[in-house]
Amino acid sequence: MNKEIYAKELPNGIRVVFLPTRKFKTVSLGFFIHQELREDLASSHALLGEVLRRGSRRFPDNIAVRRELERLYGAELATDVLKKGERHLLSFSLSMVHDQYGPEIPDLFHRGMALLGSLVAEPLQEGEGFKPDYLDQEKEQLEREIRGLINDKTLYAMQRCLSTMCAGERFGIYKLGELEGLATVTPVSLWRYYQEVLSSNPLELYVVGEVEPERVFDTAERVFSFDRRPREEPLPATVVNKAVEEVKFKQEELPVNQAKLILGYRTNIRPGERLFYPLLVYNGVLGGFPHSKLFLNVRERASLAYYVHSRIERHKGIMVISSGIEGANYEQARGIIEEQVRAIARGEISRQEMENTRRGLINQLRTGEDNPFQKINLMLDQAIGGQGENTEEMVEKINEVTAGQVAEVAAGIQLDTVYLLQGREGGSSS
Amino acid sequence: MKPPEQVIQRNRLLGEEVYRYNLDPGMELYVLPKPGYIKKYAIFSTRFGSIDNRYRVEGGEGIQELPDGVAHFLEHKLFEDERGNVFDRFASLGASANAFTSFTNTTYLFSCTSFFEENLELLLDFVQEPYFTEETVQKEQGIIGQEIQMYADHPRWKVFTNLLGALYQEHPVRRDIAGSLESIAQINPELLYRCYQTYYHPSNMAVFVVGDLEPGRVAEQVQENLSRRPYRPLGEIERFYPEEPPEIKERRVTAELTVSNPIIYIGFKDPEVDKLGGEELFRQEIIMELLMEILFGHSEPLYNQLYQEGLIDAQFEAGYTAEQTYGYALIGGESRDPEELYRRILEAIEEMQKKGISREQFERHRRNILGGFIRRFNSLEFIAYNFLGYRFKGIDLFRFPELLQQVTLGQVTAALEKNLAERYHAVSIINPRTG
Repeated sequence: MNKEIYAKELPNGIRVVFLPTRKFKTVSLGFFIHQELREDLASSHALLGEVLRRGSRRFPDNIAVRRELERLYGAELATDVLKKGERHLLSFSLSMVHDQYGPEIPDLFHRGMALLGSLVAEPLQEGEGFKPDYLDQEKEQLEREIRGLINDKTLYAMQRCLSTMCAGERFGIYKLGELEGLATVTPVSLWRYYQEVLSSNPLELYVVGEVEPERVFDTAERVFSFDRRPREEPLPATVVNKAVEEVKFKQEELPVNQAKLILGYRTNIRPGERLFYPLLVYNGVLGGFPHSKLFLNVRERASLAYYVHSRIERHKGIMVISSGIEGANYEQARGIIEEQVRAIARGEISRQEMENTRRGLINQLRTGEDNPFQKINLMLDQAIGGQGENTEEMVEKINEVTAGQVAEVAAGIQLDTVYLLQGREGGSSS
Repeated sequence: MKPPEQVIQRNRLLGEEVYRYNLDPGMELYVLPKPGYIKKYAIFSTRFGSIDNRYRVEGGEGIQELPDGVAHFLEHKLFEDERGNVFDRFASLGASANAFTSFTNTTYLFSCTSFFEENLELLLDFVQEPYFTEETVQKEQGIIGQEIQMYADHPRWKVFTNLLGALYQEHPVRRDIAGSLESIAQINPELLYRCYQTYYHPSNMAVFVVGDLEPGRVAEQVQENLSRRPYRPLGEIERFYPEEPPEIKERRVTAELTVSNPIIYIGFKDPEVDKLGGEELFRQEIIMELLMEILFGHSEPLYNQLYQEGLIDAQFEAGYTAEQTYGYALIGGESRDPEELYRRILEAIEEMQKKGISREQFERHRRNILGGFIRRFNSLEFIAYNFLGYRFKGIDLFRFPELLQQVTLGQVTAALEKNLAERYHAVSIINPRTG
C-alpha cells in the first residue's frame, strides 16, 4: 500500500509535499512555519497565527475569511501552535471537499490554496505593523488561553511537571509562551518578526488528496511566489541527552476533587537512533495501551485510578506517566507505578506483552494512513526528525525489536521529576 | 444456514452505500464498504443509556427501577470475564477497543488493520457473555469513583450538567451519566444481570461495520455467531420517563470551580420535541442546526462583534441536540463577563425575531452545512456512530442532504419564535473560586 509521495522545493525554498490518494472526500492542506523554541520568540510565534487568521489584504476581516470558506462549500480552516521537541511550529490547516462535490465552483482546489496563500503572504498592514486592534484583541485572547491552562487539570499538571523537569532547557518553555513576553509584543515588533520568519525560516506545505501532481506544484508556486532568502544553517536540533543528578519533587495544592500524579523520565533516545523503535515498544509495554503494565496494575488490580498511561515525546526523548488518583493514595500509586518501571528493567516482559505491544503499535501506524491530518502530522514529524521511512518500513522496524533491546532501553531510562497536584478542602462544589 | 437477505441503501451525493441485514433474533446489522481504507471499524450498540432507568418488559415482571449510573457501570464490567481482561484479547489481535455510554445508548467498538474476523468475533462474544461477581463489581466502584471525580473537576462538563439540571424538572437527563458515588454503591451483580437480560437482548441492539469489507461475508459471520446462542424472543421493552412539564426547573444555576475564567452556557428547552418522531425529529434537528448557524455562526456579525469585545473566544459554541424524549439548544463558552454575554445573546435572539432571517443567510448556511456533512464521511467513526445513533431514533442518516434541501426559510423562522422563546431558557455559570 505504499503510496508515492511527491516532494519538491519551490524556487523560493518553500518545501511542498504531496500525497496523492483517492480514498478521501476532501483535499487537505497543512502549512507550517518552523521556528526554534526560544523564550524571547515564543510569544510572538504563538501570537502570529491568530493575527494572520484575522484577515489579509484580499480578505480583510474574519467575516470575509469565513464567507470565502462558506463559498468553498463549507471548508474548515484552523490555526494551531505546535511544540515538537525544541521546535516551535505555527500551523494552518484547511480541509475542503473535493472538486467533484462542488461542481458549481470550477476550481475549488485553487481557491482553497489561494485563501491559505493570501493569509500567509498578504498580511494586513497598518503603518509599520499589523493592525493594532487585531493585535490587541488576539493578545487578550492568548493571555486568557495561557491563564486558562489551569482549567484542564490533566494538561496543567503535565505542563507543570515538564516545566519543572526542563527548567533552564528550551523544552521547558510553554508552547503559548509566557505572559511577560506577550505583554511586550507590539504591532511593529510582530510585523518585523513575521517579515524575518517569512523570508528566512523553513516553510512547508503538505497536500493530501486526489489532485494532479502538476496542479499541486503549479498552484503552490503561483500562490506562494513571494521572494525569500532562506537561512543557510538548519534550525538548532533538540538537545536530548541530559543526565539526572537528583530526582526533583514538586507538589502543589488546589481545591480539586482528584489529585494528579505525573512522573517525568529521561530516555536519552532520539528518532533515528538504534534504540528508537525499542523505545516505542518499551513505552507500549509499560503504559501506552489498556493491556500495558500500568493499566493492569494501577487500575485493574489496585483499583486506584480511572486513567493511567505513559507517553513519549519523541523529539525530546522524554517519557511522561500521567494518572488521576485519590490524593490519599499517592504513596501507594507512586509505589505501584515505579515498581512497573523496575519490573521492565529486571527483564520481566512476557512474550505476550511484547507481541500485543508490537501489534498495537502497528495498528496505530496503519490506521494513521486513513486520516489526512494524522498523515500530515507523521510526515511533519519525519521532516523534523530527519527520517524518511514509509509506514511499512516502520512496521518492519517494530517487528525487528527484541526483548533484549527493550531491556537495554529500560536500563537507560531515568526518573527526573515527580509532580503531584494535591486536592485540598473545598474540592466538591455541589 | 441460508445467507441473510440484504437491503442496499444508497446515497448518490455522498457516493456511499450501506448494506442492511435483519438477523435472528431481531438484530440489525449494517455494513458500509470503504474501498481503499486500511482501517476496519465495528461498533455494537444497545439502546440502553443513563436515562433508561425505569422499564418493564412485555410479559415480564412489574416496573423495574435502577439507581443512576447502571448503564455506564455495565459498560465497564463487560470488559472483564472469568478469563480476565477483554482488552488483552483485543491487544493480541492487534486491535484497539473501547466503549462509551451516553444518555441514550451504550456502544462497544474496536478498530483494527488485521485479524478483522477474529476481532469481530471477539466483540460479538464479549458483549454477549456477561460475567459479574461481588469482587469485580466492588473493584469497579473504585475505578468509576475516580472517573466521577475527574468529571467533577472538568469545568465544561460541570457547566453542562448543571444546565440540564436547570432545564429539566424530572427527566433523568438532568443527572450524570456515570451516576454518583452514592448511587453506584448500590450496584450489585444481581442488578447488573437483571438489566443485562433485557437491554442486551439482540432485538434491542445493532451492529455497524465499516471498512474495505465484503458485506455478505460479514453478515454470515454475525448471523452464525448469534445463532449459536439460545436466545428466546423478548417482549417489547417499555421505558418510563417521568412527566416533564415544558417549563424549566430554574432560571439560573451557578457553581465555583478552580478555573481562570467564568464559563456560561445558556440553554433553551425544546417544549415539544417528545411529540416528534423519526424523520420529523431529524427535520427539527436540521432546522435548529441551521438556525444556530444563522444566529451565532463565525461568518455572522454577532459572533465577530462579541469576539472583538473579548466576550467570547474561538471555542464559543452554539448547537442543538434532540433525542426522542428531550431536546435543547445550547449556547456559550468561556467569557470574561458572563452577565454581559448573557444579556447580549438574549438581545440578539430578540432582535432577529423582530427583524427576520434573510434568504441570503439561509442559503449560505445551508450550503455550508452540506459541505461539512460530506467532509465528515472521511471518518469511519463518524459514519458508524451517527448512523446507528440515528437508526435508534428511527432516522436514516443518508436522508440528511435531502431533508436539508427541503427545509424552508419559513420553518427556520418559526423555530426562531418557538424554540428560542425566552420563557424556556435557563443559564448555567461557573465562576472562578474565590480565596
